[in-house]
Amino acid sequence: MTKMILKRLLVSLLVLLVVSLLIFAATLLLPGDPARAILGQQATPERVAALTEQLGLDRPAWERYLSWLGGVVTGDLGFSAATQGPVSELLGGRIAASALLLVLTALISTPVALALGAWAATRRGTRTDSMLSGSSLVLAALPEFVIGVLLVVLFATSVLQILPSVTIARPGEPVWARPEQLVLPVLTLALVVIPYVVRMTRATLSEALDAGFVEMARLKGLPERTVLVRHAVPHTIGPVAQVLALQLAWLAGGVVVVEFLFRYPGIGQALIDAVANRDVQVVQAITLIIAAFYVLVNLAADVAGILADPRIRHASGGGA
Amino acid sequence: MISTPAASFSRRRLLAGAAGLGAVALLAGCGGPAAARDAGPPRRGGVLRVGVTGGGASDTLDPHSPAANPDIARTLSLYEPLVHWDDAYTLQPAVAEAVRPEPGARAWTATIRAGITFHDGRPVTPDDVVATFRRITDPDDPKSGASQFGILDDIVVAGDREVRFELTEPSPVFDQYLAEYSCGIVPADFDVENPIGTGAFKFESWSPGQQSAFVRHDGYWRPDEPYVDRLELINFSEDDARINALLSGQVDAIDQVPLSLTEVVGSYESIRLLTSETGAWLPITMRVDVEPFDDVRVRQALRLIAGREQMVNQVLSGLGAPAVDLYARFDPEYLDPEREQDLERARDLLSAAGRPNLSLELVTSPIQAGTVEAAQVYATQARAAGVEIGLRRVDTSTFFSDQYLQWEFAQSFWNTRNYIPQASQSSMPEAPFNETHWEDAEYQGVIRRARSELDATARAALVRRAQEIEFDRGGYLIWGFPDRVDAHQAYVGGLVPNRTGLSLSGYEFRKAWVSA
Repeated sequence: MTKMILKRLLVSLLVLLVVSLLIFAATLLLPGDPARAILGQQATPERVAALTEQLGLDRPAWERYLSWLGGVVTGDLGFSAATQGPVSELLGGRIAASALLLVLTALISTPVALALGAWAATRRGTRTDSMLSGSSLVLAALPEFVIGVLLVVLFATSVLQILPSVTIARPGEPVWARPEQLVLPVLTLALVVIPYVVRMTRATLSEALDAGFVEMARLKGLPERTVLVRHAVPHTIGPVAQVLALQLAWLAGGVVVVEFLFRYPGIGQALIDAVANRDVQVVQAITLIIAAFYVLVNLAADVAGILADPRIRHASGGGA
Repeated sequence: MISTPAASFSRRRLLAGAAGLGAVALLAGCGGPAAARDAGPPRRGGVLRVGVTGGGASDTLDPHSPAANPDIARTLSLYEPLVHWDDAYTLQPAVAEAVRPEPGARAWTATIRAGITFHDGRPVTPDDVVATFRRITDPDDPKSGASQFGILDDIVVAGDREVRFELTEPSPVFDQYLAEYSCGIVPADFDVENPIGTGAFKFESWSPGQQSAFVRHDGYWRPDEPYVDRLELINFSEDDARINALLSGQVDAIDQVPLSLTEVVGSYESIRLLTSETGAWLPITMRVDVEPFDDVRVRQALRLIAGREQMVNQVLSGLGAPAVDLYARFDPEYLDPEREQDLERARDLLSAAGRPNLSLELVTSPIQAGTVEAAQVYATQARAAGVEIGLRRVDTSTFFSDQYLQWEFAQSFWNTRNYIPQASQSSMPEAPFNETHWEDAEYQGVIRRARSELDATARAALVRRAQEIEFDRGGYLIWGFPDRVDAHQAYVGGLVPNRTGLSLSGYEFRKAWVSA
């Protein structure tokens, strides 16, 4: 089992290396050049030339890739063309802000989704079940942008005016200084994540509840609660963890849209700004961070699946 | 005074019966914020929070190279030029109490206002003014205002409060160049890390791309101003977020309401729209040095294709004025000629030019609200004249990439300027932004003479002649002057329509107050 986990870890690292190559190639393909994008309409040939040299854009691509990769490995993300300062300085606070959104969303949506899914599975065919299934289907079909706009109309601008619609932090003030500003972004992300997990939990748990070994447990006279917790639920951990991981990994990307909508000062907003500015180093850093998060969460899901699967756990002979 | 134009506006727009009506009804039905609280008479104190469009990680506090809107808003809060454009687009003294030409206009003398001080309390001296212009025109690091100071030969201290600008050629309009917002006066030892100017507000703090905060400059020279104790400028990269922030009361004012959303925003009882006529223009640019635009008949045909009223109505939701291929509508000599859509003549001209089935590619980009829509409407109009226009949409960074100024058929945007300064920016061969590659010998002669003509009557005649030439042969297709529509809470007072093309009273927040 340890070998399996190690193998997954190695694969993850390889994936990240390939991703880093792709990211670098993609930023090379961005039309326009950073120096002009930064200077905008004010670009004069002299200012462009000076900035191009300053940014090292006159060096060959492979050389720039290798020095970038070397920097990433040693924790140096390079210099931002737009701020003329280190990328890590630009991103530090923003990573914390985005991480806060993700953690809050995960903390809220995971128990809620699992509970709702289990609840629906144990009440299959009832009206609550079909209502839950129906509304989760509708929510799952709505893009996060639409959900966000609806929430803003409902709670901030038109119907009720009880929550702020955008995030405004005074210079130097962290986003969590005004927690009410976090409500709508977190709620939007949670409403996007929850439906999938609810549906997956309900489906896998229903399948387990119909399986022979559960019937056997019931026939043996075990109380329904024990049947559910000891026999059915363990079988759902693997698949549900996979869906949960996919959803959380998706969050890292979905956060871009939500941050844009709510003017939330995280990496998503920084990414949009950096793309507009052709701030290549920042685009590369953020994309790699999102990719790393994706890989990491999937790795965690795989490990959870391995640990939860009794066949793997016992076949490898150890683990107990 | 502020609410009246806004109110009549939304009424007119409602009668115009646009598709937005449903949205207005819906939102009005939902009920806006509680009853409006009006601004009342001017009062001191309070905080003004303003949402400003654009900006990002490359934001700057440099007075002499502002690029995005938030940069300009910060620049106008912190610094002041020697003279400045007021709301009516006339020149008014600022740091200088007077700027006068010497006979012959080969030199100008600026007299610094008595008692004017920087934010740190030091008086403004002639040395500071000299250092400011040396910084702007530094040959190793020229700032954005540098190009217009090509005729500046030297600048010297000429007295206790006097500075003398010596020019390489006579320039009767030199004071107009000094009035650009990118010419703010700073101390001789200026360091952008410690942004000090003479503006109504002192720098407090900022986070680039996010927000900046300012406090009242107590030693400000205008009596009573600024009214508010504190000013916060908040960057918004997204229209919806900016409007939502206003509607939910998180900001007190926003610039640039998208023209298609003015009805919706204006239907809120607690919100006032601030509509300004401007001299801003969104031209379609034709490079006169490449086929087929090198044939003046093709240029004229393309200009005759434009249905200008229709473009103003569709692109600007009617919020603007049609233009007829000339800029500088607020110049006293503005010609304001007529050019009606005439597809028949356009077809004839194209046939005469040997291009009856013209097919073109127009490069468009959202460089300013309305540019992409203008390209779309124009392409539709062209089809009726048998001209096929394919649109190539690029993002703004690509638009301003190294191909900017090389596009053969594209678009641009400009703010209010008078004729001669604008021609020096965009219609002369040495202009930094000659988008149309316009090089007309007669035109250049007229402009050069106009630039150094001392006699006002003769100069006016030259400016009119230059406009005639550009109207007949130029490479710009100018279809409209868009209005600027901003919005603020009813409790904000002092913001008035402004012709400069800059939002919210020209971003001069010293004029604004908030009622308690």
